[in-house]
Amino acid sequence: MGSEGAHVRGAQRGSASDLEALFRAHWPRAYRAAFLVVHDAAAAEDIAQESFLAAIRDLDRFDRRRPFGPWLHRIVVNRAIDWTRARQLRAESELVDAPAPEAERLDGAVLAALAALPPDHRAVIVLRHLLEYTPGEIAELLGLPRGTVNSRLRRGLDSLRETL
Amino acid sequence: MRRELEQIFIPGEHEARERSWAVVEAAFAARDPQPRRPSWKPVAAVAIAVIALAGLLSPPGRAVLDEIREVVGVEESAPALFSLPAPGRLLVTADSGAWVVDQDGSKRLLGRYRQASWSPFGRFVVAARANELVALTTDGTVRWSLARPDVRLPRWGGTRTDTRIAYFSGGELRVVGGDGEGDRLLDPDAAVRAPVWQQGARHRLAYAARDGTVRVVDVDTGDAVDRDAAASRLERPAAIVSPDGRWTVVGWADADQLVFTRLGRPRQIRAVSNVSAQFRSRSFPTIEGWCCAP
Repeated sequence: MGSEGAHVRGAQRGSASDLEALFRAHWPRAYRAAFLVVHDAAAAEDIAQESFLAAIRDLDRFDRRRPFGPWLHRIVVNRAIDWTRARQLRAESELVDAPAPEAERLDGAVLAALAALPPDHRAVIVLRHLLEYTPGEIAELLGLPRGTVNSRLRRGLDSLRETL
Repeated sequence: MRRELEQIFIPGEHEARERSWAVVEAAFAARDPQPRRPSWKPVAAVAIAVIALAGLLSPPGRAVLDEIREVVGVEESAPALFSLPAPGRLLVTADSGAWVVDQDGSKRLLGRYRQASWSPFGRFVVAARANELVALTTDGTVRWSLARPDVRLPRWGGTRTDTRIAYFSGGELRVVGGDGEGDRLLDPDAAVRAPVWQQGARHRLAYAARDGTVRVVDVDTGDAVDRDAAASRLERPAAIVSPDGRWTVVGWADADQLVFTRLGRPRQIRAVSNVSAQFRSRSFPTIEGWCCAP
């Protein structure tokens, strides 16, 4: 965390190498988290990239005593949920003549099982089991009551267990 | 569970990371205010006024646009397309496919299409792949598709309720209804050059013939309206104009920039850098149109 704080401080002062260190450290998980929620590699790339751009825009206001990861993950996961909801709404209201792209990309039983969950549940599972946040931290990140996080985790895991 | 989630293979992850880093790095490099050259603004303002006088359609207008792009340079450029300066949406084609850019700067990849065009009122997009003509909603949902060989240069025209799409297939000019019905050959002797729907005329299309003439036909009847029309019928504007008519955008491939210019007062110029990377493209993207607010 100490070195991350130094990288944030360096980036705030204009150091590109410090920014790159932050990017290299956080992009893979940000991208993977987005992908596991949206199940679309191109959308995940956009979401992770735009989240970093948003972070850069607000870098001067960032409190460097706080960890960078949760700040970024909050942006990523909320954008991913929004993207998935918007996609589902479109699918319900419009004719779909082409196969859904995500169906072509499902790779493995875990991913397929995740795809069957609602986006809110996917996000909670990803935050808990990929990014290893506690339920309390997830509640704070997503602006949800802790009980809601726990119930989504429970239902999500039950559903995964049934599918797998 | 964590190990399983971390081991899921995501195709193109490395390339995605490097593309994103290129954009993020450029955005960061442009964070600090760059010193401004005091001299460009007056020159640019004069140039804008000359553009307005010269007219965007004319060759002189094009020449002035080149000058203004040289004058503006890269110093005043935003690192990413954070927003459009006017209402409406841009349709862009790049190596990665066709994209729609909303006014808030959000971009959506419609799919791997090589050319595209707005429908007359911006509700749909017609796009071309190698062997397919596709009509899409602006979120990328396919409404219909038509398998044809070597599809190129689709152009959508007509009224809100009755539209036609002109396109080339195998070097022949064809027309299909906006609902995908009634596909037919229009002219086997057309030159493969973008046709232009004529404003104010119902389903009349201007196109170049292989003999060098410009023809205007009524696509519904097949009747020739003009067999030797003026070449200006086929001219496209040098700059894409926003739906409200207040801004233009031109692409500057050498600088990898888009340059937005406000035509009225107050004079403003906004440039955007790193355009190719933002559209995941090796070559500079093409702006196909700036259409109607959603």
